[in-house]
Amino acid sequence: MDTVTLTIDGREVTVEKGKTVLQAAIDNGVQIPYYCYHPGLGIDGSCRVCIVKIEKLPKLQTSCSTPVAEGMVVSTQTPEVVEARASVFEFLLINHPLDCPVCDKGGECPLQDFSYSFGPNESRMEFPRRVFDGEGVRADVDFGPTLMLNRNRCILCTRCVRFMREIDTDPQINIVDRGYGSEIATFQEEGVHSLLSGNLMDVCPVGAITTRDYRFKSRPWDNPDAVDTICTLCEKGCNTTAWLKAKPEWAKGARLIRITPRFNPDVNDYWMCDIGRFDYRWIEGDNRLQKPLLRSEAGVLEPTDWRNVVGKVADRVTAAGGPSALGFLVSGHASLEELALIGRLGGTLGLREEGVAVGWRRREKPQAPGAKFKIPPVDAPNLMGAADMGFPVRPTSSGDADLAAFRGDVEAGRITVLYVFDPGPEGTLGDVSWIVEARQSGRLQHLIVQGVLMTPLAAAADIVLPGAAWVEKDAAYVNEQGRLQGAARAIAPPGEAMEDWQILVNVGLALGAPLTYTSSQEVRAEIAAGLGDNPRYAGLAELAFARPTAAGNWLKTSNPSERWKWDFMFQDLPPVKFVGKPGATSWMNGIPLTEVE
Amino acid sequence: MSFHPLMLYDPERFQRSERRLLEEGEPFTFAPERRAALDELLTKYPPDRKRSAILAALYLVQEQQGYLTANAVRHVGGILEMTPAEVEDVATYYVMFFKEKVGKHVVQVCRTLSCALAGAERVTEALSHTLGIAPGETDPSGMFTLLEFECLGACDRAPVVMVNNEDWHERVRPEDCGRLVEDIRARGPAASSGCHLRIERP
Repeated sequence: MDTVTLTIDGREVTVEKGKTVLQAAIDNGVQIPYYCYHPGLGIDGSCRVCIVKIEKLPKLQTSCSTPVAEGMVVSTQTPEVVEARASVFEFLLINHPLDCPVCDKGGECPLQDFSYSFGPNESRMEFPRRVFDGEGVRADVDFGPTLMLNRNRCILCTRCVRFMREIDTDPQINIVDRGYGSEIATFQEEGVHSLLSGNLMDVCPVGAITTRDYRFKSRPWDNPDAVDTICTLCEKGCNTTAWLKAKPEWAKGARLIRITPRFNPDVNDYWMCDIGRFDYRWIEGDNRLQKPLLRSEAGVLEPTDWRNVVGKVADRVTAAGGPSALGFLVSGHASLEELALIGRLGGTLGLREEGVAVGWRRREKPQAPGAKFKIPPVDAPNLMGAADMGFPVRPTSSGDADLAAFRGDVEAGRITVLYVFDPGPEGTLGDVSWIVEARQSGRLQHLIVQGVLMTPLAAAADIVLPGAAWVEKDAAYVNEQGRLQGAARAIAPPGEAMEDWQILVNVGLALGAPLTYTSSQEVRAEIAAGLGDNPRYAGLAELAFARPTAAGNWLKTSNPSERWKWDFMFQDLPPVKFVGKPGATSWMNGIPLTEVE
Repeated sequence: MSFHPLMLYDPERFQRSERRLLEEGEPFTFAPERRAALDELLTKYPPDRKRSAILAALYLVQEQQGYLTANAVRHVGGILEMTPAEVEDVATYYVMFFKEKVGKHVVQVCRTLSCALAGAERVTEALSHTLGIAPGETDPSGMFTLLEFECLGACDRAPVVMVNNEDWHERVRPEDCGRLVEDIRARGPAASSGCHLRIERP
């Protein structure tokens, strides 16, 4: 690797050749503010706040667009730089409305933070601000199905334009007009239609692009906790952070308030898709299963208690008339722990190999053909893990789950007791209407569903066991790349619902299996011991799960690779204030401007 | 393309921007000879850089229908493999592309420093008086549009009036304006052939 040594603020630093001065500064903890630069996007050099003095160059340079050179001497804190930078901030705030108290970005806004740290104390501007579409929230206009746009707040950094051009590769956002009249827009105000649109809110350094989902819902200081976890809605396994809103026990509304992507260069970079970002409301929705349900003599599902229901499961399974009449349909959403326990159950019961099937849903996600962030079609986070654990992951030629043989067994009445395990959101098990039909027609005598939502499948079941969604349990998954990752427990399962490994252990004990696990960690340790020769599972026993972290420290403590954000985007920087009156030391002052008749 | 039941997309429910949009206009396709001219031009660029011909393509649109419409932008985008948003980005950047209907002859008066000092404002007033329209307007007959422009690059011959993005009329005095307008009205583009670009071109 070729390196270049340069001096920044009197410190000698060595960085990879080809990096820019700004990247060199970031890598070495030198504080330079920036807006238009984003590590995941191309360089633009339009915001001008990253200007630095480079010796032997006549003017101040934008550090984001200046490549490092051997022997370069850069200064970021000389009076010249500090004053020029303050002037840029003064310009950025000429038209930016100071509506931070009602702006959704308030509290986590780089423009706010940097203006405090680097900007002048006051503005000299006495002119009316440029206004698009009205003052205040009247300026919030439609920007597609997921977003709102406030052009008054926009500082024209063009990160959103570049995101659409470079990552989404379907450039739908443009800048219309030029100079003072420039504004961010979509053609004919059609809005942004993309499954990656949520990232535009992330890249926006001000409150110009906000999501409809999070708008007016919470402020950063209302979200005391953040939990580093992963998304399990497809086989990609994007690294994410789940944000928890503070609310008293009795208050209405959800605790899980938003999900944001977390940088992982090997999996999802800085991005995530809208499905993972916005499809979380069901977790704390009204349709969750909260109590074990048992179909009564009258044919109605009635709430019962766990002790009773587990005993009933054991009775039904034992009464099935031997292992050949027993079937397990497992969703691709099952974690390694759950699969291991189902394996143990099957072993105890002497289940036939054909008695187990793995189901999932496959659907192509509409995306531009060249998109740099691809959303995979299979909505199951752990198919690779299931295959490694010896479960029959059988795709058809189209990539869907091949359940033909299993379905045949159920429909022909060869399987009389079916245990469906589906901890994913509705529909992710694929088509299950055939099970409902088999149960209703009586060919299937008993249906046991362990799941999270009151789906038509659960409604048709004889016994319903309420489990936990992926943010409600510590569980390990193996994504499409074969990468082992853990989804952490951010909130508790609702009502009497339990983590799925506990349910499976209880069912196993009721069936007489010698299970001694007291935590999911013990299950993982055993899997790791069993799969010890597979390097993929090397870290399984020691897999760490994040706990809620105070959001104030989250960027600092959670993920070392997120340090860049903390250091440079959401920080309370020590002020490098320009002191003195704006313009007082400027050469412009030497030319008095007077009004001419 | 909303995928989430809780986020149904109904533009009517949300606040619409007041931004001035391009007219939808008539369905647009290039006339065969203009399409041929564009295709000929495209051979000069690598196949993956078709977008380089955007300015030429937009000029061809104006040649055909005088101004840009949303349908024309979509058509150009389709040919050059750009999204309509990208075409609009370029089209709105340049002032010589008209985003709303203009008259047959667009009379543009330079108002930047040299011309202003040489009396461009007087010229604008005279043209405005002759045509009976304020700068920025089109006369009721649809014949003339009067616009004030920034520097047209002929400072040595100020003040300058440009007609149809093409012909300069230099050292225009307010008293010449009536004759200029009458001339264009009578002879059309031929009236503009006296300007220096035509003379100095070999």
